[in-house]
Amino acid sequence: MGLQDRLSRELVAAWAIAKKDVAIYYLRPGTIVGGVLFPLFMFLAFTAGKLGTAAALIPGLIGITTLFSASSIEPVSIPIERRTATFDRLLAAPISLNALVLGESLSGLLYSVAIALVVFVTALLILMTPIASIFPILVGIFLSSLCFATMGTLFAAYPTESPGDIISMVNVVRFPLIFISGVFIPLATLPSIGQTIAYFSPLTYANDLIQGGYYGKTTFNPLMDVGMLVVFILIFQFVANWLYKRFNE
Amino acid sequence: MQAIEVSHLVKKFGPLTAVNDISFSVAVGETFGFLGPNGAGKTTTIRMLTGISPPTSGKATIFGHDIVRETVAARQSMGIVSETSNVYTDLTGWQNMMLAAQLYRIGRRERDRNATELLKRFELYERRRDRVHGYSKGMMRRLTIAMGLVNSPRLLFLDEPTSGLDVESNLIIRDVIADLIQGGVTVFLTTHNIEEANILCERVAIIDKGLIAAIDAPEQLKKTIQSVQSIEVSFDGSSPTRLDELRQLPMVNEARKEGDKFKLFTEDPAEVIDGVTAYAHTHHTRVLSITTLGPSLEDVFIKLTGLQRSGGGVTAID
Repeated sequence: MGLQDRLSRELVAAWAIAKKDVAIYYLRPGTIVGGVLFPLFMFLAFTAGKLGTAAALIPGLIGITTLFSASSIEPVSIPIERRTATFDRLLAAPISLNALVLGESLSGLLYSVAIALVVFVTALLILMTPIASIFPILVGIFLSSLCFATMGTLFAAYPTESPGDIISMVNVVRFPLIFISGVFIPLATLPSIGQTIAYFSPLTYANDLIQGGYYGKTTFNPLMDVGMLVVFILIFQFVANWLYKRFNE
Repeated sequence: MQAIEVSHLVKKFGPLTAVNDISFSVAVGETFGFLGPNGAGKTTTIRMLTGISPPTSGKATIFGHDIVRETVAARQSMGIVSETSNVYTDLTGWQNMMLAAQLYRIGRRERDRNATELLKRFELYERRRDRVHGYSKGMMRRLTIAMGLVNSPRLLFLDEPTSGLDVESNLIIRDVIADLIQGGVTVFLTTHNIEEANILCERVAIIDKGLIAAIDAPEQLKKTIQSVQSIEVSFDGSSPTRLDELRQLPMVNEARKEGDKFKLFTEDPAEVIDGVTAYAHTHHTRVLSITTLGPSLEDVFIKLTGLQRSGGGVTAID
């Protein structure tokens, strides 16, 4: 079997897994609460707290939308599929674990991109939010969605049949990320320890890239933002792959 | 080349050895039964043979492909039907078939044709557009098997295919399995139903406590315990004390009631027949029927695994 054939096979299978998740899990209550309502309430809380105007907070809203939406599918779907033994069907399919992890993450990616684009277009049409360049915003939405979707798949590797167990673990990471990534509180105003920790958050680079699209200036070089997000995606993919293999033993 | 070749396979979970150095092979086109009590290591073995769980040591090949190093190639030629009906209940029957086919990267035309044929064969075609959560247990089981066949596998792993099903589903599934066997598909079958294994399988392996206790053709295994023969007898009328009275007859090792009949286990059938005739005479009843039976595969299973009979038979078989 040639490399091209193998890659094609893996992508077809990954896409089939993603389509299955889209059909089954997008409208589940747990997914809607975690992927849509959480970021919306966070946005309203920061707006009501007068940390900025609604229009000024849109870049941050897009950032946390990708964080919550992308990482809300697999923590729900994979434990449910363990319980119904349908996950065994995927584990026994003639595909690699990489394709399985990618397929699971793809559904989170599509979900997140769709919701983030709704926020982006709504802000553009209703709040007339000014934009410096659309390209970094779209790249930021895509890469951060893939990054956080892979993170969700990684957490879902924990061998439990209860979505609540995974969601609790993911939240331990998701909530602190909002406060240390310059989403609503600028990085420059964080204490030095906070600024150091921010370097280890993928949301920092996603937010920086998206803000660059809105304001025309970034804290880091945009290429570094892209590079760091790609590095995080690869790390999450690798660790997820390893964990699924490990827990499957 | 064998369909399955297992060599010194071991699986440990911490200090527990679930599968302990088992070796066997299954020929191409053979129907192989895998029997054992709960916790014997059957499911662990299947998970290793299908590449879901790696062995601690040892080797298994599927049509020559090492299941650990060439997992994808090995899986491509197999169909897997797990004990649980693992179908997506939020999808329709057709969507389930399409998903299973896409995981094997079967082209659109072929997967449409295979899915149509299989759904018709399993009498699910009329309900193909319905979500599976509206299906009965038997329909879900049939769909699970149909999904396992969508890639036209050369080797089929069947884990408890007919357990707890209605008569209609049972008949359909057994017909399909019989057709697969006729068509030269290699079948690796685990079942609660020992009689099913006896009828379908050319050879069976009995696994107990992680070790293979015996592998042979069902009739060969029965020959090894010829001492376990039985008399099946029915009487005119019933008596609440009859079972206890029959247990007291000379040369009866064990007796149990099965419906309107009594089964008496013995090493000397002729002596027991004389005893039963005398019993009927002294208790003023008539013998309606009497049959001498050789040892069943279930008897072999019980002897090899050390299980106890309870009431109507052996229940602790996984």
